[in-house]
Amino acid sequence: MNDACQRYLENPEANPEHANECAECRALFDALGVSVEDRRPRLSMEDLPLAPWEGARHRPWGLIAAAAISVLTLSILFFIYAGTSPLSVLSAEMSRLEMMREIFRLGSTAVRNAPLTWQVTIGVLFVVVNTILVLLLRRAPRGIDA
Amino acid sequence: MRSRRVLVLLTAIAATIVTALLAAPSATPRHTSGGGNVVVFGRNATIDHAVNGDVQVYRGTATVRDTIDGDLLVFGDGVVFEGNGRVLGDVILAGGAVKNGEGRIGGRLYTPATIEGAVAMITRTAVIVSLLLVWMIAAIVVTLMSGREIRLSSIEVRTSPLHCFALGLVAVTSFVLTAIVFSYLVPYLIGIPLLFALAVFAVLTKIYGTVVLFHAVGTLVAGARTREQLAQRRWFRGDLAMVVVGVLVLGALRLIPVVGTLIWAFASVFGIGVALATKFGRREPWFLAWAPAEARAR
Repeated sequence: MNDACQRYLENPEANPEHANECAECRALFDALGVSVEDRRPRLSMEDLPLAPWEGARHRPWGLIAAAAISVLTLSILFFIYAGTSPLSVLSAEMSRLEMMREIFRLGSTAVRNAPLTWQVTIGVLFVVVNTILVLLLRRAPRGIDA
Repeated sequence: MRSRRVLVLLTAIAATIVTALLAAPSATPRHTSGGGNVVVFGRNATIDHAVNGDVQVYRGTATVRDTIDGDLLVFGDGVVFEGNGRVLGDVILAGGAVKNGEGRIGGRLYTPATIEGAVAMITRTAVIVSLLLVWMIAAIVVTLMSGREIRLSSIEVRTSPLHCFALGLVAVTSFVLTAIVFSYLVPYLIGIPLLFALAVFAVLTKIYGTVVLFHAVGTLVAGARTREQLAQRRWFRGDLAMVVVGVLVLGALRLIPVVGTLIWAFASVFGIGVALATKFGRREPWFLAWAPAEARAR
């Protein structure tokens, strides 16, 4: 066994022509049950497409801080320009929430007093829609397997 | 373990939101007796005697000639006040107008303009930008705690968008119908915790799904396509960067009147769909498939 054999055994992909020249190495691979001709080069990482998890844990705090500060500044500027305070807007929004809550409260009474056809329709729709939901949920996610 | 932590955190946030909504102080004192409620479907209603409760009119006009002790809700063609007609509570109107209502409403008048939020354009923009900041903070926290789950769900929404959308639509419809069915149980008390649990689950799904959508949009817009690109990038790489880019892109779209609202509504449907499709990124089946022992041994 010479240096060429040594290099071939250490890295067969880098020295494929040696297998054609050296009977000893060919015999060695035959003894191991590995066909020299069938051995394809191993997959190179660089040939594979970029995997979603590569670099995923990187945390660019500079970008995050810049984005958050920009949005905060923009928000403050808009409030100043509008001449209103976030608290007054919040209280206005609360009245909307209160209205939605009232609608829900009244809606629950209305449902129980609805005509029979409406109630039957709601019952049938409840069964049909939830059956479809269960059927859709049974499908396994594809994602990384696609 | 981490996905459990984020699930607990999201559940706590959702429960806080729902509790705050339920416990929001009322502007006017409410009557407690519900015995005198009037509900009318598909025709006009004329209130010509005092009502000790709420009045609701669906697909019709309400004519009020006497006092309504509670609230008046009209999903139809408006309300007309005549004679001694008064409403001591709130008037909620979805469609039509109030005629002759000056000084006859004890509580507040809510009209479709209230529902849309009749605030100045600039104030509306300020509110949207402020909410964007809240979304950004929520997205960063959720991604820090559960980046892998968010990433897997983001891949799913990009791989099977139609399935996610269909599932989201069905799930939203299911939430509404289930809430209606649970409301039948409100008089038996069990309805209240069931409705509460449903609301918490819905808010949880919405928050998680929206963060996933941020990641998906961020990856589509600014994600690295090759390993060389990724290696060259200093800022625009990683889950956090993608989520922040997604927040900014969707936030900018949200500022467009009408279209922005529609885009966010669609995003919510996609988000709810993908949250359920991937079981919050855990990629586990929702239902265990039953198989006999012999079949499994084979």
